[in-house]
Amino acid sequence: MPAETCIMGLFKDEGKAVKAILELPAAGFSLRRAHSPIPSHKIMDALKLKKSRTGWFTLAGGIVGFFTGFALAIFTAVQWNLIVSGKPIVSLIPFFIVGFEFTILFSVFGNVIGLLVCARLPDYRGLEAYDPRCSGGHFGLLAACEAGREGELMDFFQKKGGEVKVFA
Amino acid sequence: MTDLTYAQIDQTVLNTLERPRPRYWILVALLLGGVLLGAGAWAYQIFVGIGVGGQNIPVAWGTYLINFVFWVGIAHSGTLISAILHLFRAGWRNPIARAAETMTVFAVCCAGLFPFIHLGRVWQVYYMLPLPNQRLLWPNFLSPLMFDVVAISTYLTVSSLFWYTGLLPDLAVVRDRSSGVRHRIFRVLSLGWTGAHHQWLNYGRGYLFFAALATPLVISVHSVVSWDFALAIVPGWHTTIFAPYFVAGAIHSGLAMVLTLMIPLRRIFRYEAIITLNVLENVAKTMILTGLIVGLAYGTEYFIAWYSHNAVEWESFRWRAMGEYAYGLYFMVICNVLLPSLFLVRAVRRSIPWLFALSLVVNFGMWWERFVIIVGGVAHDFAPHSWGLYAPRLVEYCIMVGSFSLFFFLFLLFCKHLPSVSMTEIKETVNHAR
Repeated sequence: MPAETCIMGLFKDEGKAVKAILELPAAGFSLRRAHSPIPSHKIMDALKLKKSRTGWFTLAGGIVGFFTGFALAIFTAVQWNLIVSGKPIVSLIPFFIVGFEFTILFSVFGNVIGLLVCARLPDYRGLEAYDPRCSGGHFGLLAACEAGREGELMDFFQKKGGEVKVFA
Repeated sequence: MTDLTYAQIDQTVLNTLERPRPRYWILVALLLGGVLLGAGAWAYQIFVGIGVGGQNIPVAWGTYLINFVFWVGIAHSGTLISAILHLFRAGWRNPIARAAETMTVFAVCCAGLFPFIHLGRVWQVYYMLPLPNQRLLWPNFLSPLMFDVVAISTYLTVSSLFWYTGLLPDLAVVRDRSSGVRHRIFRVLSLGWTGAHHQWLNYGRGYLFFAALATPLVISVHSVVSWDFALAIVPGWHTTIFAPYFVAGAIHSGLAMVLTLMIPLRRIFRYEAIITLNVLENVAKTMILTGLIVGLAYGTEYFIAWYSHNAVEWESFRWRAMGEYAYGLYFMVICNVLLPSLFLVRAVRRSIPWLFALSLVVNFGMWWERFVIIVGGVAHDFAPHSWGLYAPRLVEYCIMVGSFSLFFFLFLLFCKHLPSVSMTEIKETVNHAR
């Protein structure tokens, strides 16, 4: 497999970055990552990304939490089998509050896990091919090219109005 | 705000993280002194016994529970601003969302201390946890106090995670513009965030779910806090209006605290271009609504006490207006309903001194509202022979000073060490406006 070089095109303008993303495949290059200082819907649309799967983790967390909350309340009530204030041992209405709070808690745990898994965080290795200006005001497009085509890719980015940064 | 460049936004916020002046550390030291005073008073109470405070039968819940409810209330507007207004796409909340979220986390921390303090024998706190032991004793999940344990610990966990998740892109901004130890710390804290498309895609979704989950949570938490009272049969407490009444009151007090914190923050850190007068005005407008809801709740309580023909309930409310603590009722009505209605006047809403003064007035009034409810109910309940008054003692005052000092101490540390305004959200607002 031929060695690849990663080159980043840095754009101050979101529109120019989007245009470069759309034209990159036709020029024979593949986009690895698009960095932006803000969540850019234009970039998302240009990349034709699939929907995030974070929600499935959130949902799974919520279902687990709902049953955990109810199970905990019922289990503890059954262990200490005393009628309190004339209420049944297993009182579903008050236990719903415990179930509800656990639903939210576990949904959030699921959400955080989903976010970390889907966004592949922590990712300290990603900083190796990254320009700090991307967290400021620049949009960075990291593209890969085969050895020998570096010049073409650099020209492409420069023609589209971007600065170029090469990663070894 | 919309004419700011991304670089100006970053610079304005990053300037706040520069090495602080000596007067900052003097203020931090003073607040730390307050925290130590409170901690010392608590240690004294643990050593001598809970009896060193003024709370006793019939008023077993004194300032500890008043402060608990007060701080939980303060926490609520942070979630309103960061989560509920996010769902409504209210762009004006962006400049103050970070500070409000931080306020939420610190306020819940302060609130969470009070059940421990009030417990007296604090080493037995594990009784509240569902841990197996040799006597097979388990928490009673039929009790509203156990609802509270579950709700408050969930709220603290969720708001802390929400706050940290929101911080991630900004931690990367600080990482990218710092060097040395600060760079290394922020490198770890930012989890290697690079703003890559797959990160934003999942972040946006995750943040939306956070907001969607925090919204019912925030309503449930203060409802649960209200049920600590409403599920008891004490006159003045046993009422179905308590949940919405407490939630509205919580947001009212929290918005006032947002103004109390934001106005000095805006001036000291020169945030005028970001936290504009329109933002503060919108907070004031929201306070008109919450103030009216709170006023309606006050009126409804009296109306139902009269309309129900319940002699005990009516006596409780008559005493509330004419008894020993009547001044508390007048404080709360004047400070929470009448004076905030001055915000109906545009000139008042757009005057910084008025906004700041009225925010302090509402903070004061909301503390008294909790006093009237918590102390007033049990001090004058069913049987005249069990009536009794309550006054806080020195230990309770010291612990109260300690809790306020802790809140402002933490907030002060936050302001100089983490971005107090969300750079990413401001950039987003600017981007949308173009």
